[in-house]
Amino acid sequence: MGRKKKEYFDSVVFTIPAIFLVCVIFYIPFLTGIYYSLTKWNGIAKEPVFIGIDNYKTLFGSASGFLTSMGFTMKYTVLFMLLSNVLALAIASALTKKFRGVSVIRSMFFIPYIMSMTIVGFIWKFIFSQGFAALYEKTSMGFLNWSWLGSSKLAFYSVVFVGVWQSLGFYIVLYIAGLQAVPLDVLEAATIDGAGSFKRFFMVTLPLLKPSIVTCIFLSLTNSLKVFDIILALTKGGPGDATYSATMDIYREAFQKNNYGLGSAKAIVFFVIVLIITQVVMKLMDREEGDTAKKRKGGAE
Amino acid sequence: MKLTQKRKIKKAILIIFMVLLALIYVYPIFLMCINAVKPFGEVVIDVIKLPSKPEWGNLTYVINKMKYGKLFFNTLVITVIGILGIVVFSSLAAYIMDRKKNRYTQIAKAIITTPMLIPFQTIMIPLLKLMTTLHFSGSKIGLGIQYWGFGVPMATFIFYNFMKTIPAEIDESAFMDGAGTFKTYRLVIFPLLKSVTFTVIVIDVMWIWNDFLLPLLMVNGSNDTKTLVLSAYSFVGQFNTQWHYAMASMALAILPSIIVFIFLQKYIVEGVVAGAVKG
Repeated sequence: MGRKKKEYFDSVVFTIPAIFLVCVIFYIPFLTGIYYSLTKWNGIAKEPVFIGIDNYKTLFGSASGFLTSMGFTMKYTVLFMLLSNVLALAIASALTKKFRGVSVIRSMFFIPYIMSMTIVGFIWKFIFSQGFAALYEKTSMGFLNWSWLGSSKLAFYSVVFVGVWQSLGFYIVLYIAGLQAVPLDVLEAATIDGAGSFKRFFMVTLPLLKPSIVTCIFLSLTNSLKVFDIILALTKGGPGDATYSATMDIYREAFQKNNYGLGSAKAIVFFVIVLIITQVVMKLMDREEGDTAKKRKGGAE
Repeated sequence: MKLTQKRKIKKAILIIFMVLLALIYVYPIFLMCINAVKPFGEVVIDVIKLPSKPEWGNLTYVINKMKYGKLFFNTLVITVIGILGIVVFSSLAAYIMDRKKNRYTQIAKAIITTPMLIPFQTIMIPLLKLMTTLHFSGSKIGLGIQYWGFGVPMATFIFYNFMKTIPAEIDESAFMDGAGTFKTYRLVIFPLLKSVTFTVIVIDVMWIWNDFLLPLLMVNGSNDTKTLVLSAYSFVGQFNTQWHYAMASMALAILPSIIVFIFLQKYIVEGVVAGAVKG
């Protein structure tokens, strides 16, 4: 009896600091945010005015800018995930080969990842404006003279490119770790069976790499949905609103336009959308993984 | 014979290609560094050319102007406070959640780890109001403490997954020797968590040191709490036509990370991989 009581006492004492912290940082603001989202408030007036679901109606109208920025975020996310995973996997496969200096090259790809995204955004702002102009004078390659941050179409690709540049090293090291875990004897067996290097990669390596791919897809998904710092430094959302992400739109609504109520509503809708997308993607990948596992098991029987 | 030769050539071409690609990859960082030590005139004329004579004055100007030493100290204090709390509170919770499996710890686990699903931007508006009320905004300690809350869910999750690999017999024998739950944690379990603690430290240091949005919200213009990254941001905004000073402030802002990375790269990469796979 005493022991059971002691167990509960310990359980409470050891977890209470962590529970208290997440309540203060996450749960209380989250619930307050839901309340704010039902009010009209400029953040300065003493009391928010309750207005029901009006903010949610405004939010889905075209004037609020939320849907446009959410659309941008989706486009960004798809292209970011695609590029960072494909490129990281390709570079990782090249860098699992053994040669002198390979670790130095791996580190070179990793360096941007340890830098703050704000600084990365500024560096590329400098490169796109000053660097490209200077290189154009030297090489007269036409693409260097394009308006990479000035035209809304190109600015989208610039933003994705810089995002990928910053974090590619992270996905490369994850894929390298995954590739190194692929058993050599399996690859050798495939070679003996006459599989060429392409076939070996797609038929043997890739299926065995599944856990790394799932990890990288999940991380690139959640990171790109929340993109903020890089774009703020690189384009400030411009030209026009062409590169305004959903998170930037929330920030602008609350802290620049002082619409705390509408900003909170956007924040809540953003949370729901992110939750749905990540859950759906995880379910899809889980199911697929289950299928291959089943197949593998079936083959063994 | 011929086949191996062909393979060798193929490999050589691949290596040359990768070396070139890596050089192009870090070229922007190189450009930033050389322009940080050029006189303004040379930046305007040609960004690519090496400086005719390094202008170290840019760096000293920026160091004085942005009060680099103070900013470095601020960022260090915030990061250290943040890391200490995250490691202690997460490992404590993870330890008991794994060792005492009862209804209460099950609920506690759900409460502590679920916030991993909540994006920062979803809660930032009310959080700012709450932290201002609590006088947690505009102070280094207040900012450091906020990172406890943000870091705990993920860190607890990582610690919890690692706890499973430590056999229960170890703490049972400590218990036989008369050690209580906390003493067992402090003397037996925590030392065994060394490798995973290191993982948590690596990923959280990189995050807190480089974090931008939380300091941006909480600092409110008070110079006392400005972090290095935040200050570089406003500095570049101020000097956005004087590229040589902008570049110097950026180079100085990332210098600490680069130095640490050069010396600890193996451990940093290991920590990052472990954190991603477990988290």
